[in-house]
Amino acid sequence: MTAFVVRRLLLAIPTLIGITLLTFALLHLAPGGPALALAGEKASPAQVAAVTRALGLDRPWPEQYGKWLADLLRGDLGFSYIRQTPVVALIAQRLPQTLLLMLCAIAASIALAVPLGVYQAYRRNTFADRFLNVGVFIAWSMPTFWFGTLLIALFAVRLRWLPVGGLQTIDTPAFDWPSRIAHLLLPALTLAIVSIAGWSRYIRGSMIEQLREDYARTARAKGLPARAVLFRHTLRNGLIPFITLLGGTLPALFGGTVISEQIFAYPGMGQLFWESAVDRDYATLLGMTVIAGVLVILGNLAADVLYGFADPRIRYD
Amino acid sequence: MDSPIRGFGMTEASHDPRWRLSAVASLSLAWLVFVIAACAGAPALLHLDANLTDVAHSYAAPSAYHWLGTDGLGRDELARLLSGGRITLAVGLVAALVAMLIGTGYGAISGYYGGALDTLLMRIVDVFLSVPTLFLLLFLAAMFQGSLLALMLVIGVTSWLGPARLVRGEMLTLKERLYVEAARSIGAADGRIIFRHLIPNAAGTIITTTTFTIAGAMLAETALSYLGIGVRPPTPSWGNLLSSAQSDLFARAYWLVLPPGMAILATVCAFNFFGDWLREA
Repeated sequence: MTAFVVRRLLLAIPTLIGITLLTFALLHLAPGGPALALAGEKASPAQVAAVTRALGLDRPWPEQYGKWLADLLRGDLGFSYIRQTPVVALIAQRLPQTLLLMLCAIAASIALAVPLGVYQAYRRNTFADRFLNVGVFIAWSMPTFWFGTLLIALFAVRLRWLPVGGLQTIDTPAFDWPSRIAHLLLPALTLAIVSIAGWSRYIRGSMIEQLREDYARTARAKGLPARAVLFRHTLRNGLIPFITLLGGTLPALFGGTVISEQIFAYPGMGQLFWESAVDRDYATLLGMTVIAGVLVILGNLAADVLYGFADPRIRYD
Repeated sequence: MDSPIRGFGMTEASHDPRWRLSAVASLSLAWLVFVIAACAGAPALLHLDANLTDVAHSYAAPSAYHWLGTDGLGRDELARLLSGGRITLAVGLVAALVAMLIGTGYGAISGYYGGALDTLLMRIVDVFLSVPTLFLLLFLAAMFQGSLLALMLVIGVTSWLGPARLVRGEMLTLKERLYVEAARSIGAADGRIIFRHLIPNAAGTIITTTTFTIAGAMLAETALSYLGIGVRPPTPSWGNLLSSAQSDLFARAYWLVLPPGMAILATVCAFNFFGDWLREA
């Protein structure tokens, strides 16, 4: 098991290096060159020269990359000259909010996609299944920002049940659970809509495969109630490949936070990314791209390890 | 028919999925033809200009004159919706074309040559896939914002990963076929085998993937325009028509919120349904 985890970690290293190379290349694509990009468009020639010297941008690029990578490994993601703040500090402030939002979205997706997929698999090719299939396709094609706007129209403007946006009610004490949860519901649902559709479709397919197996029919034929066979026998097997899918959805969820946080004025990484894109604050954009890539790789790694736990047939060699 | 073990084991009645799906697929096709014709013919069909402001009649509810009402500047919403559709559809089609050209070439080379080259090329795809696509899109769109062509290219170069993987997978099986061996035995070069034999035989996969890619590219355009980094006002697009929708909501102007969203949803859905039908058929 340890060997398996270590090998997985080693395999992740080339991908990590690839991500740093990609972001490094992105910086050099910037019109006007990396120094101007980092210093900001309104920087004076003297400021640009200072940035060039400080980051060694006048050196050959392998040397630049080496220095940039060394800084990165020390946890130095650079300095946002536009915000006059180290990028690490900006991200550290926003990341927890975004991880909380993503966690809620994953919970919502699982809570809705699993029952939906199981039901559709059990009633496969019936009218109910086909009807739900159309619904799933519509959710899959949904422009998320519009879905979020509709949720606001219904729950915040018309019914006045939930807040329009923000982190929590302004006049409440430092950390107020009921208010935080109320402010998380709509952004999380908006973020989750696409994964609810994708995952339920996947679970339907994987459950149909399991339900067709002989063991499922045998369990049913020996008199076990349908519910027991569905949830105790087939669901366990049907969910195993789903763990990998969960890891693979992380980049889309990360990207989705940009839109969800923007609609609901939720101060997280996605909003910071959007603000940085509008301000062309490339230092912050690069830092966040690296962090998101690293977190996605770690998430996939965790999914691989979990997969090993869930399916004893997987060999660790 | 309704046996107690229904749902378990191979008990379902066989059916022909092609016949079932064709109703949805033909509806989708009809919608696509209608939308494309309406958007293409918009300037000739309408008596109102999409950029004509009339502040005296701002936020006018739908009427016989303004079928879908007017926006905050008194511009006719139907005219904006149709000319916005031209932009969104054009961006979706061109970006998908760019993505398919890159993806098909990349996937074909990776799958055909195999070995170390394949491993390297697929590793590169893995790297791109670990970075959230919307992050890359925003990054590049912020860098090269301005022209419509730049937007099409930016969406195109961030959408080729899925097609590349699918085409590679297809190549892996196709290259083992006898006709490839036959072509090689009469001295055909690799380039000829890939472009004259393998890619035409993968046409089914490529066409199906194209429809899904168009749907994805349209969603990318609308998302970027919604975020204010895509198509720039006053040029309308389905995405930026919705970016003001949230404030319009508080003016209770539902006619500005529903039609653009429905247009995007229905058109993206139609491309997806049609692609799904192609895949099954």
